Amino acid sequence: MRLRFDESVEAFRAELLDWLAAHRPSAEEMAADPSISTGHAPDWARRWTRQMFDAGWLVPGWPPELGGRNAGPIETLVYIEELARAKVPRTTNVQGLGIVAPSILDYGSEAQIRDYAMPILRGEKTACLGMSEPGAGSDLAALSTRAVLDGDRFVINGQKVWTSGANYADFCFLFCRTDPDAPKHKGISIVLVDMDTPGITVRPLPEIIRPEHPDLNEVFFADVVVPAENLVGEMNNGWAMANGSLAHERGMVWVSGVMSLEESMDRLRGELPAITAGLTPAERAVAIDRVVELTIDTTAARCLGYRGFAKLAKGGSAPEQALMKLFASEVRQRIALVGAEVQGAAAIEVGAVDMDGHLSVDEPQGTWLEQYFHSFANTISAGASEIQRNIIAERVLGLPRS
Amino acid sequence: MDFEFTDDQLELRDNARRVLASACPPSLVRSVYEGGGGADDLWATLIGLDWPAIGVSEEHGGLGLGFLEAAIVVEELGRVVAPSPFLATVTQLAPMLREAGSPGLLAGIAAGDCTGTLALAEGGAWRTDAVHTTARRTGAGWVLHGEKSHVLDGASADEVAVVARLEGTAGDDGLGVFLAAGDTLSAQPRPVIDPTMPVATVTLEGAEVGGDRVLVEPGEPGAAPAIARALQEATTAMALSTTATCRAIFEATLQYAKDREQFGRPIGSFQALKHRLADMYLAVERASSLAYFAALTIAEDDDRRGVAASMAKAAAGDCQRLVAGDGLQLHGGIGFTWEHDLHFLLKRAKSGDLLFGTAAAHRAQLARMLGLAA
Repeated sequence: MRLRFDESVEAFRAELLDWLAAHRPSAEEMAADPSISTGHAPDWARRWTRQMFDAGWLVPGWPPELGGRNAGPIETLVYIEELARAKVPRTTNVQGLGIVAPSILDYGSEAQIRDYAMPILRGEKTACLGMSEPGAGSDLAALSTRAVLDGDRFVINGQKVWTSGANYADFCFLFCRTDPDAPKHKGISIVLVDMDTPGITVRPLPEIIRPEHPDLNEVFFADVVVPAENLVGEMNNGWAMANGSLAHERGMVWVSGVMSLEESMDRLRGELPAITAGLTPAERAVAIDRVVELTIDTTAARCLGYRGFAKLAKGGSAPEQALMKLFASEVRQRIALVGAEVQGAAAIEVGAVDMDGHLSVDEPQGTWLEQYFHSFANTISAGASEIQRNIIAERVLGLPRS
Repeated sequence: MDFEFTDDQLELRDNARRVLASACPPSLVRSVYEGGGGADDLWATLIGLDWPAIGVSEEHGGLGLGFLEAAIVVEELGRVVAPSPFLATVTQLAPMLREAGSPGLLAGIAAGDCTGTLALAEGGAWRTDAVHTTARRTGAGWVLHGEKSHVLDGASADEVAVVARLEGTAGDDGLGVFLAAGDTLSAQPRPVIDPTMPVATVTLEGAEVGGDRVLVEPGEPGAAPAIARALQEATTAMALSTTATCRAIFEATLQYAKDREQFGRPIGSFQALKHRLADMYLAVERASSLAYFAALTIAEDDDRRGVAASMAKAAAGDCQRLVAGDGLQLHGGIGFTWEHDLHFLLKRAKSGDLLFGTAAAHRAQLARMLGLAA
């Protein structure tokens, strides 16, 4: 155990910071043309992703031909931390770079890698992830969107929901049922579907905060015809790929979430004297105690992250990440709630704090109350907190399945 | 940045766990609870293994290992509710001796020749600004007046480091530390719920301390920081011990949930219990992570050690609050019995929270350190 990084890691950090200082898009440039959905990549974002790819800074853990530099896990952790500190995203299409491209690289054909994965890495295409359905949320394997193989083509019918970025994405990484008679986990396949294919209807679902920039969508498929060669990996093996897709940066992405908790706490502590000025000493003491408790939580989140990372680096199990997801998302929610409650009635005023573009999960924007409502995106999506508790109980603690 | 123990440290932990499994079984704890003794043999075993020497430097006759190694032993002792002078001697007196530069006694501790403790709290407050005990110079020595509460091992320790202040001073000013021989003090053992953490009230009505037994001279510029550093170490150790006890409660409860069957299935298959066990696990990991962070700041003498120690102690308190309660609740009736060993852990966890400052007390201290409160 130790608190500091090796000199070689610090050298890596210094090189990254130099490069960022010379090439990063400015805050003004990003704010002038904000990304308004995770499927939407403004021109600056496309240029920036391409620049990172060419310089080997897009996914440092990958080889140069995939936009990396064969960096190790500790370097990747430092990289994610420094990008978060610099407040510059690698991509606005987080699911494309984080899940879709890696999955295609792992399981896809050469043509799929050429036509779908590499364009994501070069900032040329954006992707959405077609998973949840009206009848398949936490129970994802119950999905019923059908893809029927008919000669050299699939015919797809069904409906997805909560599909982030589908309103702007170029293609969809679609989970669909290809064998309705098999057990539910064993009849699922993944098909790449261009979003301009006839028969697809996208209906945005405005959210409770910032409804003018919807990111979530319903996506309807009516006799959508897709070439059979768009099948990713093996037929009926989609479920296994769903569980394997995020693999390589898992164990490191937590750090950007922690950075944003730290930033929120810096803001809350900074505002505290002003927003508690009218309180009695007893009321102020209660407010301060709650803020201190969240400061402890935030430090704990970073320490928990480092602990999980150390285990992962030594070959530990990935389900530990469920603990981090659960904790960080619930701390985020408590920070926003306490911020609003400490602030008092002024927290109901809207428009008091500017918001740029769409609200990304790790990027709290707006007033404390707006942040509070938006924080449910973290505790509901990507496995609700209740599901995370089940995963911890069953996969980490070894309790029997219900 | 590395939050995992080295292979050597993991080996130390495994060895300590193996030794304590036979040297400190629940039957030994039960014997101490029921007045049968047995703690002396355990201490002799630990001395034989050189454990008191772990954190003492080699030049002072110790093993020259760091705070992380001491932390590992503290955790293992907390796990088995060990009744032992280790905590008070090695994590409360020794740091003060080290800050004071008193090599003679450190060698004695390393050799297992002497036990000790720290008398800081007054009226249940562990803050130095709550110290009212006074020290007055008389010729070559000092005379102490005051009353110290909740002194761990206060009635049995060979040497007691007493924190006192010059008359007429307040806050951090005028603080000093004086070493009194245990047998010259009036120490009243208090009846406590956890006999493995015995505390005493130490009354100092004109107790005399020779000039050669001043550990930290009152009024010296470095006095308050030296005392603060020693306290950070003691506080972190108490957090480590308490968190380790909580982990033992959690593990016992998890095992019970897997073994106990009702309605034809293990009770741990019910989601109502699963979610509580997941939350207990999170509380233990949260507290552990902060305790290791604090231990690291001490081992590397990092500037964050004051904040980290208070965070660790506050988190240990939060952790025991959830884990002791849910641990007892999920064990059901069997955990409520004297016969079952669970209550040793529960009471140790409560003692560990309430000694050296509760979670709320450390949050209040953090508010001051973070500049949120005066």
